[in-house]
Amino acid sequence: MDNNKIIPALLFIPFLIFLSYVGTAKGAAISSPKKEVQLCLACHADNTLKKKLMDKEILSLYINANDFDASVHGKTGCTGCHPDITMQNHPRVKMIAGRREYVAKLSRNCSVCHTPEQLKKRQPIHSSLASQGTCVQCHGSHYIKPVAAQKAAVKDNVYCLVCHRNNISTSMKNGEALSVFVNETALRSSAHGSLKCTECHTEFSKNRHPMRSFGSRRVYSTDLAELCWKCHSETSKRYKTSIHFEKLTAGDLKSPVCTDCHGAHSVASIKVDKAVGLRSCNRCHDNMNSSYEASVHGRARGKGNEKAPVCSSCHNAHDVQFTAMTTRIKENCLRCHKDAGKLHNKWLSNPPITLPSFAQTHFDVVACAACHSAGSERAVYLSLYNSRTGNPLTEDELAKILDTDSKGLAAKIDENGDGTIDAKEIWDLFAYLFKKGAAPILIGKMDVRTATEAHMIDSKAEATKDCDKCHSPQAEFFKDNFVAIKQDGGTRLLLKAKSEVLNSVYTILPARKFYALGSTSMKLLDILFIVALIGGIAVPIGHMSLRIITSPLRALRRMGKGGKK
Amino acid sequence: MKRIFLHPLAVRIWHWMNALGFIILIVTGAQIRFANAIQMFSFETAVKVHSWLGFILLANYFIWLVYYLATGNIKIYIPPLNHPIEFAKKALIQAKFYGWGIMVGDENPHHSTFDHKFNPMQQVSYLMIMVALIPVQIITGLFLWDPHLFGPAVNLIGGIQIADLIHVLLWIFFSAFIIVHFYLATLGHTPMAHIIAMFSGYEEEHEEHGHEAGHGEEHSHSAGH
Repeated sequence: MDNNKIIPALLFIPFLIFLSYVGTAKGAAISSPKKEVQLCLACHADNTLKKKLMDKEILSLYINANDFDASVHGKTGCTGCHPDITMQNHPRVKMIAGRREYVAKLSRNCSVCHTPEQLKKRQPIHSSLASQGTCVQCHGSHYIKPVAAQKAAVKDNVYCLVCHRNNISTSMKNGEALSVFVNETALRSSAHGSLKCTECHTEFSKNRHPMRSFGSRRVYSTDLAELCWKCHSETSKRYKTSIHFEKLTAGDLKSPVCTDCHGAHSVASIKVDKAVGLRSCNRCHDNMNSSYEASVHGRARGKGNEKAPVCSSCHNAHDVQFTAMTTRIKENCLRCHKDAGKLHNKWLSNPPITLPSFAQTHFDVVACAACHSAGSERAVYLSLYNSRTGNPLTEDELAKILDTDSKGLAAKIDENGDGTIDAKEIWDLFAYLFKKGAAPILIGKMDVRTATEAHMIDSKAEATKDCDKCHSPQAEFFKDNFVAIKQDGGTRLLLKAKSEVLNSVYTILPARKFYALGSTSMKLLDILFIVALIGGIAVPIGHMSLRIITSPLRALRRMGKGGKK
Repeated sequence: MKRIFLHPLAVRIWHWMNALGFIILIVTGAQIRFANAIQMFSFETAVKVHSWLGFILLANYFIWLVYYLATGNIKIYIPPLNHPIEFAKKALIQAKFYGWGIMVGDENPHHSTFDHKFNPMQQVSYLMIMVALIPVQIITGLFLWDPHLFGPAVNLIGGIQIADLIHVLLWIFFSAFIIVHFYLATLGHTPMAHIIAMFSGYEEEHEEHGHEAGHGEEHSHSAGH
């Protein structure tokens, strides 16, 4: 007989002993847990004992007698946890669908002794986990050690994973299930791979696992952003100046927090993966992606230029600003295009001294896209700001001062109700705001009309270089004017203004920092110039006429003088 | 006829450079402002010429300033502040002369000499122009030339629109002034007397108008400088 046949035959012997024991003790109670264990281990001490489950998975049925005896359940016997296994009903006749189902079912048996009330009292987190029937996942099955021993046996950064490497979840108030599974491999290879769990999750320790309650999965994510801020304080300061944080605090839970872009445990670093600043933005702003891809920047990236800018290169990664209300985005254009001033000086300079600051003068009030997004529609946006703080005077603030609400704001400013704002209406608004102690100012910017156009930056060969587009009384780019008022949540109220709004003395003070040679000329001054010219000519003509009329008087006088002489 | 030395060469060069510069600045200013109505030059050309002339007149202003300070002749611009009432009376007399006396053949109450070139009205006007209006026009012109470079100073006066407002108001004033100035220059004893003097440095005056002056030269009417 060869070994292949002898070994199964030998293994079958304990099973025959078990059957004979069962036969003699049929129907009789086993006298003690110790004997019960001995009985079970008659078979289960065999480390080759396995069972093929219905899903074809192999389940080992081996029990290490010594380890089991040393476990906290060593004295409870087998049926303490396996009450459904009796001499008459051994699992050999049972059909087990799969390991997961089997483990879940057996875990529920734990609650016979470890009641939910008891668990809740001792360690609240267990009460929710126990209901999911996953005790075995964390504690194991037959070799459960005393809690103190278990804690001492594992390092801090592994201890949490004892449970969290398993597919466990927690429930939100709204009924959503949040997976609290941690992919250990992803965690170790992340930017935080060397950190202990408790360095981020500071509320937790081996001895403390508070039971927390969150309204929803999203609330959980947004609330936990603070964990990142503890270490990344400088970044958090920048984030807190962003439009994203502003929207978040205004109640828009869709607004991104750290984990939306960087991930939770598989924390990505922009230093390694620059595309984070593109992929993560596209989750919400995917409608901008096609215009980016069509741009000179997107095309360069498409050709494999890793240095080509992504969203965060221009918009910042953390202090993302409301681009439409500022010209700050140009700072990021100039971060890459450092010599933009000098390059513009090739055609944009003012003699006799060529200075990059003259180009900068244009950058101050003209969005890069206004010239570099070929074929776009342009307009002048007069954004309402608080001159004291340098921040936008928001719709809510303005509505409060004007004693109205956001719906009534436009009507309040557009006094004559013609649907457009004229210079006098701007003056009246400013006069009222000054009276109320506010310090408004209109910050002007030449910009493209849509965000799509703003992204479609083309090559410099396509850029506008025609001065007359802006510097002319009939400047094409100055035909459309808007008064822009910032709204909460990253939008702005745009009020159409009359095309001549910047040619009125009424807007000299309100828009005192916006000026374009030739196109923001005050009409009243033009009239004054004509009057002065006429006056300048009239004085000599009048005086000369009087001299001509009075020439006989002088002639008479000369004659008189001559007579005397 | 007596020849009275009034205008040193440096002053004459300064004056005509200033005059030419003023006229070109006024014209190019009009071209920039009324690009839709006037097509003398392109916008770019008008701006470039305007900027060049602005800097030339800036340098010219310093020539004037250094010359008059170095020679001490700046005093011809300073009204006698210790005799304000007397000065006001003289100014009134001068105004009456231009308004009426000149019509009836009165003698000009002011007789120019090298050291007393300006009548009281001219003295006040040119002092204001030289120490206030031209400097302000130069400074606001610099602000408009490069608003970013002069950003802090521009903000100090409220904003670039304010700089433009001042610059344009002065442009309007100078446009009218230069016409009147040219007319006044024809009010010498002959229409060309003052103008020729501004080329030659000497002004001719009838004998009967003369009397001994500080430099042993005779006085003359003077409308310009």
